[in-house]
Amino acid sequence: MPNSATLQTSIHENLYQSIEEWVKETKPSVYGILFLYASAGPTNLDAQVRRILESQPNLDFEVWSDGEANRQVVLLPELTLDSVHFQGLLLKQRLLEVLPNLDLRITLASFPEQGEASQAVLKQMSDSVMKSEASDIHIFTKEEAEAAKNRILIVDNDATIREFLQIRFELQGYETYEADNGLVALDLIEKLKPDLVLTELNLYGIDGLPYIHHIQQIHNNQAPKIVVLTEQKVEQTISQCFERGVDDYITKPFSPVELDARIRRCIQ
Amino acid sequence: MRRLSLYVKLQQLEEITLLRDILLIYGLFAIYYVMSVNVIYFSVLALSFKNIWTVYRRSVFSKFNTLAGSDLVPSVSLLVPAYNEEVTIIENVRCLMTLNYPNYEVIVINDGSSDDTLEVLTTEFNLTKLTNPEMRNSIDCTAVTGVFYNPEFPNLYVIDKGNGGKADSLNAGINLSHYPLISSIDADSLLEKDALIRMARQYMENPEETVAIGGDVRIANGCLIENGQVKDFSLPNKMWPMFQAIEYLKAFLGGRIGWSSINGLIIVSGAFGLFRKDYVIAVGGYRGGYPGEDMNIIIKLHRYMLENKLKYRIAFCPEAVCWTQAPESYRILASQRQRWGRGNLKNMIENYDMAFNPKYKVMGLMTMPYNIIFEALNPYFKITGLIALVGYVMLDMTQWKILLVFGLINFLSGYLFSIGALILEEIAFKRFIKISDLWKMLFYGAAKFFGYSQLGTLWRIQGHIQFLRNNNSWGAMTRQSWKEKSDTAKSA
Repeated sequence: MPNSATLQTSIHENLYQSIEEWVKETKPSVYGILFLYASAGPTNLDAQVRRILESQPNLDFEVWSDGEANRQVVLLPELTLDSVHFQGLLLKQRLLEVLPNLDLRITLASFPEQGEASQAVLKQMSDSVMKSEASDIHIFTKEEAEAAKNRILIVDNDATIREFLQIRFELQGYETYEADNGLVALDLIEKLKPDLVLTELNLYGIDGLPYIHHIQQIHNNQAPKIVVLTEQKVEQTISQCFERGVDDYITKPFSPVELDARIRRCIQ
Repeated sequence: MRRLSLYVKLQQLEEITLLRDILLIYGLFAIYYVMSVNVIYFSVLALSFKNIWTVYRRSVFSKFNTLAGSDLVPSVSLLVPAYNEEVTIIENVRCLMTLNYPNYEVIVINDGSSDDTLEVLTTEFNLTKLTNPEMRNSIDCTAVTGVFYNPEFPNLYVIDKGNGGKADSLNAGINLSHYPLISSIDADSLLEKDALIRMARQYMENPEETVAIGGDVRIANGCLIENGQVKDFSLPNKMWPMFQAIEYLKAFLGGRIGWSSINGLIIVSGAFGLFRKDYVIAVGGYRGGYPGEDMNIIIKLHRYMLENKLKYRIAFCPEAVCWTQAPESYRILASQRQRWGRGNLKNMIENYDMAFNPKYKVMGLMTMPYNIIFEALNPYFKITGLIALVGYVMLDMTQWKILLVFGLINFLSGYLFSIGALILEEIAFKRFIKISDLWKMLFYGAAKFFGYSQLGTLWRIQGHIQFLRNNNSWGAMTRQSWKEKSDTAKSA
């Protein structure tokens, strides 16, 4: 079983991405994910959790963390929501037996019952476990999963435009990031894996068309959606962009309402 | 015996009187010369001041971004001659490919480099040799050995040809270029993102008559440059570039704005200029075999347009900025200036017939005479003036007070011109944000008259001597990557 300490430390940087990859690799038909958080928990919380889970025969599991000792993720392949919930109750009970003063929060969900365990959903779960008020176990619902924020990367040289778009998108519940030149943007796309890149074509650092090409090469099987928002109105450039797989092309000056609608369509 | 010695003395006296007369006449002439130089300088400066407001309004209120996305802007071919530029060429081509301009192509011409310029380019952009490139042979040039291209970068072409000099490379570029406008750019210069669109805007004001537009060249030593963007402007830290920064400011803002307003511009800097291709071809392209091809093409354009009685203008666009690396060492600066002196003299000798010829209008009556008398011959007047001064002192014809006053007037008028250029800069562009930079400018503007100006005279004379000796080399030039430059600027 790969739930050794070395594995745990090796994955802590990109926790959500690692989970996503784990799902892709092991391809369980159903699987549960359980976030566990104790605000002033002991440093050996993971060991405790692992001990409890190991005590049950025939249970397949992994305990991961992103380096914070008081927040753990338990991956439970081949378990339906009922069983995941049972494991959550069991963990809570046993942990409180050992550490009676522990302030424990648990959020759990089973997939694909509750949708897809995308990075945005995982992040949403992690946020909910950190923020939850009650000590009851929180079952993460499909509705919540759907409300998970999509990430938009805004790339434009003009700070005013970036700020305007950022405020607008945040209000609509997107998670936004920004970059002011093409090279920074390519870097961020690699790190953040945004769902959508809203970009100007005319940027410092890299020419527009090769830049679009680069974006699509970064994560070859799941490139982000690309929406171009630019001053460039030359027909040839527009058609070349679509040829290279851009999802939408909007010219400045633009209507914000229309932009919203186009972005919504691209993301869904 | 006594009579004889008296006779000799008398004769000596006569000789001295003759010398005095000559010196006196020369002195009068020199005074008029200096006066006319200053009158011309200040008239041109006044014209610059008259036009700077237009420049200011144009640079502030024009919507370049919208224009830069429009199909209506004429397409441009950028010609980049490169000779042994392997260190900087990639960075510069990348930067040229991100200009804010709707439709343009970059044509790099590898002028038979002895280093890996071509290899560096083909590997970086994954270029392959075109089997059947479409080259028109409108202008003669050295045989082209290949044209390299990659459809991934649809706007980039690289021409490989045998060594033939800068003018020859530009001609080869013209033969390949696909668009009606061409722009010559030095491979060591950095164009601002908006530079080309600002120029095109000026061209579009009057596309029928505009045959050439020059850009403003500035010194980038000391600036912080990232991804082809000047992030932080400051003046050079070293002495030689600093003097040149003042010189460029004076020449471009103080001089060229004024000259262009009366259509008397004699040069469009080789570092950055825009031309109508049809007229460049009509005058036979660039003249090879000699430096000063940038001045030569403009003189030829003037001549062609005037001889064919066509209405035309050669404009200057001070808001289109091109940054260049100024030579930092004495040796390279001297060789650059000698080259300029040589090219200038060659152009003047070739075109002396235009001077004082009313047929050539402003060009014949103002620009050419000015350039011959006050630019090309200037060093000789300076030297003879100096010798005459020695004569005046020896013959006791003057008082030191008068000399001092004369020197002071000379210095002040020159300094006033520098300050005028600085004020022009502050009116239109306000690039000197730091007060310390302004002080530095004022200090070097004055210091320039004690040593640097004299060196300028010396270099020009050396250039003329090289011309007479038929020494025709381009001279030494070093290259430094912009990245290294910025690093040094950062650490400084």
